[in-house]
Amino acid sequence: MTAAFLVARGIAKRFGALTALSDVDLEIRPGEVLALLGDNGAGKSTFIKILAGAHPPSDGELIVEGMPVAFSSPKDAASSGIATIFQELALSENLSISENVFLGRELKRSVLGVPFLRRAEMRRRVDSLLKELDAHISDPEAPVGSLSGGQRQAVAICRALNLNAKLVIMDEPTAALAVAETRKVLALTRRLAERGCAVVLISHNISEVFEVADRIVVFRRGRKVAERLRAETDPEEIVSFITGAHPGVRALEKTN
Amino acid sequence: MNRIRNLQGSTLVLTLLALLWVVVVFVLLVLKPSVFSLATVTTILQFSTILALVSLGQAIVVMAGGAGIDLSVGGIVSLSAIFGMLALKAGLPSFLLPATCVFAGAVLGAFNGILVTRLSILPLIATLGTFFIYSGLALALTGGAAQSGVPGWLLIWGRSVFSSIPAPFLTIAIPVFAIAGIVLMWTAWGRWIYAIGFNERSAHLVGIPVDRARLILYGLSGALSGAAALISLAWLGSGRPNIGQNLELESLTAAMLGGIAISGGRGGVGGVFAAVILLVTLKTGLLQLNVNTVWQLGIVGALLVFVLLADRLSQRWR
Repeated sequence: MTAAFLVARGIAKRFGALTALSDVDLEIRPGEVLALLGDNGAGKSTFIKILAGAHPPSDGELIVEGMPVAFSSPKDAASSGIATIFQELALSENLSISENVFLGRELKRSVLGVPFLRRAEMRRRVDSLLKELDAHISDPEAPVGSLSGGQRQAVAICRALNLNAKLVIMDEPTAALAVAETRKVLALTRRLAERGCAVVLISHNISEVFEVADRIVVFRRGRKVAERLRAETDPEEIVSFITGAHPGVRALEKTN
Repeated sequence: MNRIRNLQGSTLVLTLLALLWVVVVFVLLVLKPSVFSLATVTTILQFSTILALVSLGQAIVVMAGGAGIDLSVGGIVSLSAIFGMLALKAGLPSFLLPATCVFAGAVLGAFNGILVTRLSILPLIATLGTFFIYSGLALALTGGAAQSGVPGWLLIWGRSVFSSIPAPFLTIAIPVFAIAGIVLMWTAWGRWIYAIGFNERSAHLVGIPVDRARLILYGLSGALSGAAALISLAWLGSGRPNIGQNLELESLTAAMLGGIAISGGRGGVGGVFAAVILLVTLKTGLLQLNVNTVWQLGIVGALLVFVLLADRLSQRWR
């Protein structure tokens, strides 16, 4: 087993009197797709926002590659190699694919302090990334506005890879996609893990999770109630964890 | 492909404007064959220089989105011209006049930027307010009187003509538009402006300093208006407190005619330049035909509606 890229220990998050998350321990390993499941309000989103640096945890610690970290902004998380692909993809539709992949950190040649773009170099890099992901996008100069939802996910993933992300967090990447598109995005997710990235996938769709994830973690009412390898569980068990029907969850909730 | 698509968009605008320009010139020539002397060409280009600089500022502010608009440009032109002349009277060395006008414009523009980005006032409201402040101040400081005493060397530059092309047009308008075009097309800053204009949130998420960029663009728009004020001084020989009158609407018309999307993120400076030439030609021609000023405004308005309609229809057909 490879060493964990990120270890979360005893993570808790309180918003005033409301406890959104309590005592979550989790390891995220490179080359592995980890699925986070749970009902609405179970704490998944709060947890990834902590990983992404959008919220500081109230308690507990995050350890990235053996070093304790404290993120005060998404930028801090990004510089530790954590990229988050939010549901709204943060792409600019009027710009081309390669411009979007490099937006905010363009390759440039400075002439008298004016940052001129190195278009050819950027196009080449994006082209090879798209090929590597097998994303079926032939022209990196096409405007993002002309792409389908799945292709946009591919562009967002390219963006994450281009930032040298070692952990990519995907928040319901298939929520708004057609069936064929969903397949493509799941394949992309797998390929990302094969490349050695750690992937955290949030989803509501259990069959999708069983198709792509290596490990499944279930959140319920702000706690981690289950962690299973895919091979050792089945959809019924996971659903019973999510709904709280599982005897283990009931026992846990009774003690609290 | 994106570049080609962009180019097609702006070539469409450019072709339409060129076509309209030919029609305007043709109609004017038929109505009054003597209308276009070389002197008229010089006048048109002289007026165009002022409107072009102001329109460029307007265009970049609109392009950066966030409901960006600068209604105070006319006020900035008036006030920076007056400020320059008053500073001269107060003992400013005359060689500093150009820098003073541009700097005054930049400061007034940056004030707009602060209202919009730091205090989050809607640009339409903020710049409407500063429009009244700036143009009112220009009148109040002078009591409405024109300020004479522009240094002679400035007049020589402002009034000299090379084969009927005025010097300010050659030395300011063309270089400034060339630089703006290059920056928008080939630098990271240009990409950021388009990104901010189209989708502010995504630009923010990727780490583009949205507010700072907007602040700078308002300041830049002000500086361009200050430069226009300087040209009006060099040409007319005096600082008039109402020189910027109507420039806000004319510059907005030029920007819209030139294909800048009012919602931001779309358009280029070439179209703005062509639109300025078209507008000034039309106005000068109508003036020569002794058309009532009220009708002149009406015709400009009709032109704007027509071009926007053509743009909408061409998008539907595509």
